[in-house]
Amino acid sequence: MSTPGNTGGQQPSPPTGQTSAQAAGSIRDRLSSPRTSDQASGPGDTRTSDLHENGFQQTDSAAALQGHGRGESQYDSSSPPVATEELAGRKHPLGPEDAKAAERKVAALFLLSFLGVVGFVATFFLVPHEYTSSTRYLYTPLLGTFMALALGGVGAGAVLWAKLLMVDEEAVQERHPFGSDKDERGATAEALKKGLEETGIARRSLLRNTVLLGAGSLALLPVPFLFGLGPYQHKERVLATTAWKKGVRLIRQNGTPVRLGDLSIGSIESVFPDVEHGTKIADSPTLLIRMRPEELQVVEGREDWSIDGHIAYSSVCTHLGCPVKLYEQQTHHLFCPCHQSTFAANDGCKVVFGPAARPLPQLAISLDDEGYFVAQGDYSEAVGPSYWERDT
Amino acid sequence: MSLLSKGTDAGAVWVDDRLGSSNFVRRSLNKVFPDHWSFMLGEIALFTFIILLLTGTYLSFFYTPSLTEVVYDGSYVPLKGVTMSQAYASTLDISFDVRGGLIMRQIHHWAALLFMASIVVHLMRVYFTGAFRKPRELNWIIGVALLVLGIAEGFAGYSLPDDLLSGTGARIAYSIALSIPVVGTWTAFLVFGGEYPGVAILDRLYSAHILLLPGLILGLITFHMMMIWYQKHTQFAGPGRTEDNVVGSRLFPTYAAKAGGFFMLVFAVLAALGGLAQINPIWLYGPYDASQVSAGSQPDWYVGFLDGSTRLMPNWEIAGFGYTVPLNVMIPTVVLPGILFTLLALYPFLEARFTGDRDYHNLLDRPRDVPVRTAIGAMSITFYLVLMIAGGNDVIASVFHLDIISMSWVLRVSLFVLPPVAYFVTKRACLALQRSDDELVHHGIESGTIRRLPNGEFVEETVPLPAVYRIALTGVESDRPQLEGATAHGEEGKPKGPGYGDQHVVEGAPERVPGFFRAKRRSGPSDTSAPRPEAAMPELERSGKPAPPEQ
Ligand code: HEM
Ligand code: FES
Repeated sequence: MSTPGNTGGQQPSPPTGQTSAQAAGSIRDRLSSPRTSDQASGPGDTRTSDLHENGFQQTDSAAALQGHGRGESQYDSSSPPVATEELAGRKHPLGPEDAKAAERKVAALFLLSFLGVVGFVATFFLVPHEYTSSTRYLYTPLLGTFMALALGGVGAGAVLWAKLLMVDEEAVQERHPFGSDKDERGATAEALKKGLEETGIARRSLLRNTVLLGAGSLALLPVPFLFGLGPYQHKERVLATTAWKKGVRLIRQNGTPVRLGDLSIGSIESVFPDVEHGTKIADSPTLLIRMRPEELQVVEGREDWSIDGHIAYSSVCTHLGCPVKLYEQQTHHLFCPCHQSTFAANDGCKVVFGPAARPLPQLAISLDDEGYFVAQGDYSEAVGPSYWERDT
Repeated sequence: MSLLSKGTDAGAVWVDDRLGSSNFVRRSLNKVFPDHWSFMLGEIALFTFIILLLTGTYLSFFYTPSLTEVVYDGSYVPLKGVTMSQAYASTLDISFDVRGGLIMRQIHHWAALLFMASIVVHLMRVYFTGAFRKPRELNWIIGVALLVLGIAEGFAGYSLPDDLLSGTGARIAYSIALSIPVVGTWTAFLVFGGEYPGVAILDRLYSAHILLLPGLILGLITFHMMMIWYQKHTQFAGPGRTEDNVVGSRLFPTYAAKAGGFFMLVFAVLAALGGLAQINPIWLYGPYDASQVSAGSQPDWYVGFLDGSTRLMPNWEIAGFGYTVPLNVMIPTVVLPGILFTLLALYPFLEARFTGDRDYHNLLDRPRDVPVRTAIGAMSITFYLVLMIAGGNDVIASVFHLDIISMSWVLRVSLFVLPPVAYFVTKRACLALQRSDDELVHHGIESGTIRRLPNGEFVEETVPLPAVYRIALTGVESDRPQLEGATAHGEEGKPKGPGYGDQHVVEGAPERVPGFFRAKRRSGPSDTSAPRPEAAMPELERSGKPAPPEQ
């Protein structure tokens, strides 16, 4: 074909339409190094037999395939590739000694893989892995290393085998057209029309309308299941309420109530409603902050919501609900770690920076008879992120 | 050896007797796959998905998706006696008490990160080479669907351990759902089974993560592959490569050996990462607690751009008539990704509409040859990167001791200024690269030999560009002066143009794509600022083309 050495008539000529591929071979031949084209010769080539000995029956099978493919192309829209090394004008690039060396390299990689498996199995069963054992830091890294060797050995071996020892082929395959021809399309459309006619759906308008109604309404069947996934509690306004009620004490995470004087100036405490599971209720965590009374700019109408510089805000960020916890006593800024919204705790928790749109709601607090902090009632507005039905 | 071939024969006969599959199998074994390093990116995505299925199945044997409280009594000493959900406790067990459990967890997480990364880079290669053009638009859309499903799948998985970070992520997702006008509250309640944290979210995330989403992804990947199989892979221009053929190696044995080996290599890298590089150490974060958060917590990288858009958004909110629309949440987390993914999915159709190009394309574009598309791509990547950086603005600010407020402003401005700059610069660069190509094609390679003409003028001799390179650069085989070697292929070898058979525009049809999108190639006089041809050569050599001839 394209290679000077094997233009003899033994090769079946390629199907028409492959001419450009032939040309490819010839460009390649002329451009590739003289050594390659010298040696890419016909069946007499020494390395061909070398190939056979090693079981790579590339040449035979390729030729055979061509024969088959041509015979059957009427069944096969994608004609088989015009193989292979003849077109590419190359055998595999290694001489016999190099090939032996490459074979050894690949074999070494496969061996490495075996060792990796052995190491993995040994580590898996024999090395103590418990947190209390001294080898716990080694266990997982050793597993990983052996596993990587086991998998990588086979992987690198296979890739090298393909690169070094298999024919660097340049096979060419025709694409087949995607669209069908006009007759084909027409026949299909015809078959569809015929089928529809046989149902008589066009004539029987009663059937047509009722089947549309009946089958169409099937689409509604899953909808109730969707509603069943959860409650729709617009009426109960669950989002607008929390667990805080009049007289409920402010407790710490460990359950102890907070008394006036427990907090030093400039400090902050996470507090929860003293109700059942109070520390677990997601919308109720609150921050109790103490600052000098003169530093506090009390919001109008909230004069009696704080006591002696103690002021309480919801710790659920009004942006996306992360817990706001970081307090900077110099600036009185409360800081949300999620998207850096910053609130002025001494000024009604107004937003000074960040994507939050609303101040943190303030919880009105007072003291009970024993001197413990209690809530005067629930928050006067919904805490946390905004939502459609929120009406303040 | 003969035993092996006998066995193969017997096996083939046995199967063929029952399925008559010989013809199909042989055609499959002979299928030709073109070779280019960038075609491996999709393979990495496929392989990591398989690895995710394998490791995930193992994890599911031990994980319990339950919020029921238990007192931890496993071997991790620092948390002994702490009350926590069963989900968190079972994840601790996988990490400390199940043999090989930690490495499985870590491989699974690394594989998820690599999966998303390979999808994104694969998408970029498909975009920049124009592989999405007719007839492959459907595969592009499936690809975008896979990208979105991948993000959802990753998010669901991230939420399962019920540690401090994952609980925070779930709460943010709930709040995002709340922000949708009219149906938001309802949606959030249905998904979570009530007000946050609800009763059901963990079970639902679990069945989504191990059944629903992987099932969808698997189905779509299967479809993706079938379509590639049927339509055959695209290829770059080169000698003998036309719109109507595929040039490469056959599936069996060469391609199969390389791809199989590559799968093992990807798995090996992930095994090494999973064994040696710690990831998501949930025992350090502690169990989820609605009132706790750790500073500087970051989502996995593929959600980072949404985190960034959320951070940069001004704090706008509309309230009135008893209703509230939280624009500060809805725009960056619902509207923006909605627009981005819709545009992404529709891109092939938008481009076709804009250029009027409705032809089949099996030869890939070199990015520089379509400056506008490439520039749009660069613009989008820049936009995405600014958002990603914004997602880590607190970390960056604290590492470099910057003020977070001014940093946010810089990023806000960059988000609108840098993408157009990227567009402009990229387009210029493409045109410059085209010019240097042109130089090579028309004037040849500088030989280094300076000749003095009789009139005293010095000229440098050039060597004509070898045909292989010329074809790779121009995609044209025959309308230019032929090298001696190329003449053999005559008229028949002329690429038939992008069409097939009789239904499409055929040879000699004028270029239908308006100059705005592509083909701004200027064949002007040499421009000294253009890269020297020598600089371009090694790259061509690396791409596996044969060495140029000695002249
Ligand atoms: C689960 C994720 C994905 C997997 C496992 C996957 C896998 C693959 C593989 C193995 C190939 C062939 C090799 C290659 O060209 O790289 C491929 C081709 C392709 N992929 Fe994907 N892919 C994924 C996502 C995507 C995405 C996100 C897009 C684009 C939005 C996309 C669009 C395409 C297209 C158009 C082709 C055909 C390319 C051609 O023939 O040149 N895929 N995919
Ligand atoms: S959740 Fe607080 S800033 Fe976003």
